[in-house]
Amino acid sequence: MNVKTRRKQKKSLRQIIAMSFVTIVVFGPIYWVTMSAFKGPQEIIRRVPSFFPENPTGSNFERLLLATDYSTFLINSIIVSSGTMFGTIAVSLCASYGLYRLKIPGGGKLAGIILLSYMIPGTLLIVPLYGTLNDIGLINSHAGLVLVNVAFTAPFCTWLLRGFLQSIPSEMDDAAAIDGAGPVRTMLQVVFPLLAPGVATVAVFSFVYAWKEFVFASQFIVSDHLSTLPIGLKGIIGQYTVDWGLVMAATVFTLLPSVILFMFIGRFFVRGLMNGATK
Amino acid sequence: MKKHLLGFSLVTPVMVIMLVAIGLPLINSVWISFQDQRVIGGESEFVGFETYVRILLDSSFWSALGRSGTWVVVNLIVQTLLAFSAALLLQSKGWWAKSARVWVMLPWVIPTISVTIIWQWMLNSNYGVIHWALGEVGIDLGSPFSDPGVALFSIILVNSWHWFPLATVVIYGALATVPEETLEAARIDGANNRQTFFAVTLPLINPILFALGLVGSLWSFNVLDSIYLITEGGPVEATTTVPVYIYNTAFGAFRSSEAAAASVLTVLVLVTVAMLMVRFARPKEDS
Repeated sequence: MNVKTRRKQKKSLRQIIAMSFVTIVVFGPIYWVTMSAFKGPQEIIRRVPSFFPENPTGSNFERLLLATDYSTFLINSIIVSSGTMFGTIAVSLCASYGLYRLKIPGGGKLAGIILLSYMIPGTLLIVPLYGTLNDIGLINSHAGLVLVNVAFTAPFCTWLLRGFLQSIPSEMDDAAAIDGAGPVRTMLQVVFPLLAPGVATVAVFSFVYAWKEFVFASQFIVSDHLSTLPIGLKGIIGQYTVDWGLVMAATVFTLLPSVILFMFIGRFFVRGLMNGATK
Repeated sequence: MKKHLLGFSLVTPVMVIMLVAIGLPLINSVWISFQDQRVIGGESEFVGFETYVRILLDSSFWSALGRSGTWVVVNLIVQTLLAFSAALLLQSKGWWAKSARVWVMLPWVIPTISVTIIWQWMLNSNYGVIHWALGEVGIDLGSPFSDPGVALFSIILVNSWHWFPLATVVIYGALATVPEETLEAARIDGANNRQTFFAVTLPLINPILFALGLVGSLWSFNVLDSIYLITEGGPVEATTTVPVYIYNTAFGAFRSSEAAAASVLTVLVLVTVAMLMVRFARPKEDS
């Protein structure tokens, strides 16, 4: 340990420049939109922009909350994203356990089919999907949107959980069986609790997916009062084209929830993605 | 036997959901493509391959396919360069790399609609900060999203900012799988950093890079929102890739059958290209 710390050489100038570059690339745009949201109507359209608001004001956010349906869109987004998250967790957890742990006959082929659905472009399915949702009475409903989102997140998440399942020794299953636990109890009480990091990864992926999703939400939800945030934000922009302050505030309030979520469980996600994707 | 019963019932939900939301629509898509349906669900009759012929003779479809090719390749290059540099930096020691391993994901976490607004704001030709900064050093940026010559590349940059974090984390994970001893051995044999990277690291992580490139290309081919939210495919079709073409055909021109036929053709192209890549470009996995 001591040797290692002493060996830690000084960072080269090139490395520092590269690090600053990456930092600015990632944070620059986020910083800029946040600062803009706190600027007054005169300052925000100044020809020479100010890098920090001279008279920080919350009026943009105030107008957003009072004059627009932001809170409705927010609640809709939370419903759809949570629904997608829980749905994806349940479905992909079961599927990966069946495919990769119980190794059902023909499981390899099924896993292949599930992976193949990666290749099928969601965009190309909008037209027929609309018809399908219409037939089963789920058009213009949160449930329909959740169903479609889960269909597109579950394949990737099922595969992602494979890496986590493999890291749990199968001797544990045998030991549980000797202790008299049936297959269902083994799954629920022995293996699933150990999959917590994998579940966190799946949770973040599916929540963020649904939070960002635009195309399906714009086509399958017709009523304004059911719209999710990205659709609502698009409407707000259309309605308040020249009110840059309001648009900036709306943008900040759209990205903030997913950023906050990520601050809390982002490191599990990054670790999970590394493990899952490289196995 | 009981075990298999449990296994099958566990796999059933994902199968049902995928059947309803992907399988049936896909079959439906093929069905609609042989009809002459206009509005979704409207009246229609069987016309055979007529619609396909019309799509294949439509020069807009071919230009869209070409643009999609450019879109995929340039996105791949830009994102790989960005992601690789970032991933190598994440490997270094110290607080920067440690925190960056999490915050580098932020551009991916932000909803696409927000991403497009942020960049349109920063590049705005009247009030945009980047426009102003470049102007100060004598570069006139013009309007990057409404100039047909550069619009596609401008959106590629925005899209790359949005998606490079995912590739960064996967590449960083791949780099972490290379055993320290192997690198140490190469160094003892007198290889410098660059030689070690190209002779040891790169061959070892090649299979992961290939998988990432393949899946990433398919995902990026399918991107619709980044493009649609900024230009809707304009100016004068300059940013109309295949997904935008299909979207506009279905919901702008209300020609469901043509959109479906174009979708089917596109899936065929994607599957063929993917299979060719797996067949001929996949790195050998023996070590």
